[in-house]
Amino acid sequence: MVQSEESLRPLYRLMVGSGVVAILILALGLATILKFAPPGQASGLKARIVGVYPYDPATHRVTGPASTHFPRTQPFAAKVDWSSLPGGVVVGARWYNTLDEPVGGVGPATAASLAATGALVPAMTPPGLHANLPGNYTLAVTRYSRGQPVELLGREEVLVERNG
Amino acid sequence: MEAAYPRRWRPSRYGIAALLGGAVLLVATASSILSFLVRQVPARASLFGLPAVALMVAGTYYGVRVLREHEEAHRRRDRVRAFFLLGAGMLLWLLVLDLFTFTQAAGPRVALLCALACLPTTAFGLFVIRRLDRNEKEPWRLVLIATAWGAIVSTSLVVWGESLWDAIAVRTLVPGPALDASIAYSAGIFEETSKGVAVVLLYLVMRDEFDDVVDGILYGAAVGLGFNFMESITYMTHLYAIFQPEGQGLDAAAAQWYSRQVLGLFFGHATYTALIGAGVGIARQLPRLRDRLVCIFCGFLIAIAAHFAWDAWVQFFPISQSAFGLVEIHLRTLFMEGPFTALVLLLLAMGLRVEGSALVRQLRAEAQSGTGTVEPEEVAVLASPWRRFRSRLRALGHSGLRAYLRLARLQRAQLDLAMERWHRERDEIDAPLEAEDLLRRRVLALRAAAT
Repeated sequence: MVQSEESLRPLYRLMVGSGVVAILILALGLATILKFAPPGQASGLKARIVGVYPYDPATHRVTGPASTHFPRTQPFAAKVDWSSLPGGVVVGARWYNTLDEPVGGVGPATAASLAATGALVPAMTPPGLHANLPGNYTLAVTRYSRGQPVELLGREEVLVERNG
Repeated sequence: MEAAYPRRWRPSRYGIAALLGGAVLLVATASSILSFLVRQVPARASLFGLPAVALMVAGTYYGVRVLREHEEAHRRRDRVRAFFLLGAGMLLWLLVLDLFTFTQAAGPRVALLCALACLPTTAFGLFVIRRLDRNEKEPWRLVLIATAWGAIVSTSLVVWGESLWDAIAVRTLVPGPALDASIAYSAGIFEETSKGVAVVLLYLVMRDEFDDVVDGILYGAAVGLGFNFMESITYMTHLYAIFQPEGQGLDAAAAQWYSRQVLGLFFGHATYTALIGAGVGIARQLPRLRDRLVCIFCGFLIAIAAHFAWDAWVQFFPISQSAFGLVEIHLRTLFMEGPFTALVLLLLAMGLRVEGSALVRQLRAEAQSGTGTVEPEEVAVLASPWRRFRSRLRALGHSGLRAYLRLARLQRAQLDLAMERWHRERDEIDAPLEAEDLLRRRVLALRAAAT
């Protein structure tokens, strides 16, 4: 066989170099996870989510029975049993809409202070919209450490109906 | 080009391809059953989409047979079968998407309109990437098969994996950058693997049409454009359904269309899978198995990393609500995706340079051999796409369209022969002399017809 004059070495080296860059990028991703969800944070605590209720923004009270489905025009809020958590633990709760955008929440504050005020977690209609966007809404109750959420204590999902 | 190799069965490559194809079918079947049992993923779409996947596999099989078959009657029969099966597979999958995923939300009419909106842009993308392969253009049917695999098979393969990963991630990680990074890993790994399988299968089964890094980039980008086509329809219909009650459905779908089919047409999936194709294409010409595996692995790695980087870190570049937001969207894409697209272009430029240099050398050698397939004065013309085109235009002016087409076929056959010589020189083919003889006879026949 006659050896070809065209060398593929530069292409090969560029590809291997790209692979090294890829490993660095993926390692950076792992570092992101470790920074924002540091290991060793599992406390074993669980937040008891009592339910999700229709909500009156004027009176800041829940009305009617708990439900997992709401019409678009019906505001709703979650009731969390904050007293089920140790009083000194710093916690918070956030609603996320179907686009994973935060749409309301409470905290971070100590579980004792939230329990004392009976804090509800209302989902707010984003500015510029007439009603809630349809789709699944997720409530995440989290424990905070050094100002950042580190542990998921509870989770609940409700559906905002499209034709509501 | 016609199959240049008389041996119709090469167990090692075809054995791996069969294993890979079987694994794809097994995964699709398992995912359908699993998703139906677990109920955490869109089970109906996955279950009813399985026949569409089977039709696509069968269609691909007959499509490949068309390319390898020598007898015209058999080719015609297999071509009809391939078209029918691929068409049925595509229609069935679109039907599945419409009926089971979007009908209740956006409706089949919206899904159809979204598909129609994405067709011209995707076709433009395919036209452009095929033009980039300026020395030896790949057959449209193979490019379209790659696109169809990206659109239908790859998209259906990722449903279960991503859904299960995401279901576990949202139950274990707090919302925020960590969860976003986890979901980005899922998208990068599953989507790039499912698209890359199509490129690897082409490399294993269609070695005659998979010459080097240039072809790898072309096929990879074609798979990526197919995937992007189907994903665009999914996002457009999804966002239309969400914002339609607010009277903003059309705006939301149009924004997605612009983002994915105009701004991101060459930046997103096309770039990622082109990187996989580049790795496979370089591996195609490497003599040592270890180097080949390293190259393919690196192609997958950089594609996964590029996809991951966009999904995980795009949130760190928020778009303002002011008029400058429009500029920011473009700058963000350029800044985050641009380096990877630039890498693809660099690989392409290097590949074209190597390929062009090799073809000139082989054309000169063929001209000097005195076989009559390539005349010495033709070398400079054949080496330049622009001069080839001008010579065809001259033929068109002198003798009409048939002369133009005859010359085009002759030029293509001459370049095929030069490519074949290059592969023989590098010891990259199984039956070099017979392949070359077959091509020489073809060139001489075409030259006789052209004169």
